[in-house]
Amino acid sequence: MKIAVRASRTMTRRTMLGTLGVIALAAASGTLTPPRRAGAQPLGLNESLDEAMTRVFGSRSIKDGGSLIKLDIPLIAENGAVVPVSVRVDSPMTPTSYVKHIYVVADKNRIPVVTRVTLTPAAGQAFMGANIRLGETGDVRAIVEQSDGTLWQVKREVKVTVGGCGG
Amino acid sequence: MADIGKVRIRIPSSIKPGEVVQVRTLVIHPMERIERDREGRIIPKTYNYINKVIVTYLGKTIVTFDTTQSVSENPFFSFAFKATDPGPLRVEFLDTTGGRYGGAVDITFA
Repeated sequence: MKIAVRASRTMTRRTMLGTLGVIALAAASGTLTPPRRAGAQPLGLNESLDEAMTRVFGSRSIKDGGSLIKLDIPLIAENGAVVPVSVRVDSPMTPTSYVKHIYVVADKNRIPVVTRVTLTPAAGQAFMGANIRLGETGDVRAIVEQSDGTLWQVKREVKVTVGGCGG
Repeated sequence: MADIGKVRIRIPSSIKPGEVVQVRTLVIHPMERIERDREGRIIPKTYNYINKVIVTYLGKTIVTFDTTQSVSENPFFSFAFKATDPGPLRVEFLDTTGGRYGGAVDITFA
């Protein structure tokens, strides 16, 4: 009886030490840390507008595209949970000159980058539409990247009566 | 929630060859928002939302949307494409939990 107890006690201590070692190793190699957010959300992160703009566009200059881009969005959004937005760009959409990406960015959202649309010349027209969420009153911008890499943007202020982002 | 993943695609009733057509599409999906605890910290978990939409026509990808949680519940998208030949137009929605929801329409000329 006595021997059994002693044996079980030593076993406990050994297994305990062993377990601790495994935990330490796991922590060191990073297997215990929760999944990295960067991998799960490469496009939309919980970040400020400036962080988002630098992360997506780096230090590239963005020109004013008022004559080129038509951003269609209501001036007043009564329900921030569903705000229809559409973007149309004047572009020939030929294999040599076309619109590569249309970004929609909501300045005041906790996740500013709403969507990135990748277009091909087969689309025939640089157009996109979506229903987006807006957390509060603020600018919504459409940023267009052409096939030669130039960036254009337009922005419009949207008044939001009831925010739709929660969290 | 039984309807999750139901895809709807709307095309104009008559399409002429070579015409640029606007298509509207919708998927039933909760698009979970970020949740916070009482101290305002984000609860780390895998949020279930659509993060990619792929549109293919005649087997070729023509438009893709990369989306975030800033897109509304039951996300609706529209896009344009040039109808050159009769054939299938497919829209596929991918979410963060590995779900794939697809829909297709046949493009025919009147």
